[in-house]
Amino acid sequence: MDKTQWLLMLHIAAAFCLVGGSTAAAILNMLAIRSEKPSEAAFLLKLIRYALPLIFAGVLGTLLFGIWLWHDLGFGIGTGWIWAALVFWALASALGGRGGRHQEQVRQSAEREAAADDTMSGELRAMLRDRKALAVNYAAGIATIAVLVIMLWKPGS
Amino acid sequence: MIVADFSRPFWPLFLHVLGAMTTVGGILTVVVLSYVAWSRPDAAFLRRATFMTLLATIPFYILLRVFAEVMYSDEKDAFGGSDPTWVGIGYITSDAGFLLLLITIGLAFWWKRSEKPVAGRIVAVLSALLLLLLTVAMLAMSGKWGS
Repeated sequence: MDKTQWLLMLHIAAAFCLVGGSTAAAILNMLAIRSEKPSEAAFLLKLIRYALPLIFAGVLGTLLFGIWLWHDLGFGIGTGWIWAALVFWALASALGGRGGRHQEQVRQSAEREAAADDTMSGELRAMLRDRKALAVNYAAGIATIAVLVIMLWKPGS
Repeated sequence: MIVADFSRPFWPLFLHVLGAMTTVGGILTVVVLSYVAWSRPDAAFLRRATFMTLLATIPFYILLRVFAEVMYSDEKDAFGGSDPTWVGIGYITSDAGFLLLLITIGLAFWWKRSEKPVAGRIVAVLSALLLLLLTVAMLAMSGKWGS
């Protein structure tokens, strides 16, 4: 394997960490939304911490190896599709972080209710199904898929 | 080979990669759920969640496998009758992986119904093995091993 193949492999591995970890976090969030007790919701949301190292490694790895490949493959500084992918990458990271903060607030509320009588209150149910938070999570997912589309399509190249 | 990577038709490659990435995410979730259930054998919601996640992974795995075949049909002539190592690894791991996925789903169903901790432990080990297979396939295909 030459240097470019190594860089491509590491860039793609980082992308798998990012999308795979984000998918795992999304599935655990969906399972928490469907759970019947606050203790179950809190436990499932707590499991998202196992996906976080993968997501962080993916965020950093895609950027680092992506920029290295940009230089290695000789694409110009004004290559539009790379800049577009970077914009969506930043958007996905920002939205993902915001969604994660909401999940942490919900987890803390769920733990408080679990410690009380472990009965799902209307307030906790509303927090789990908060439309604004769900929209942020969906937007983060769409931005991540947009990066993937741009990377594979390479419009204009 | 690098030039070929950059000139592939978009849709089969996109759907193959999207299927692979979401499959990895689904199996990663199953690994986490089944391993934490190891120390909480009484938690019925973990058994249900594991089984439901495995079922949800099937369409993504099919996406991965079908569009891999579509790309191979379009590009096999470029290999001159001798498939490179990474194609062989992709075939072996995806076919063996699908069989492993179906077996794991069967065992997860048994675990959900019987509540036997041993079934959950087998699910944990098999799902970790499946995640390992998928990782090897991803590295082999992205690094074009043997080309």
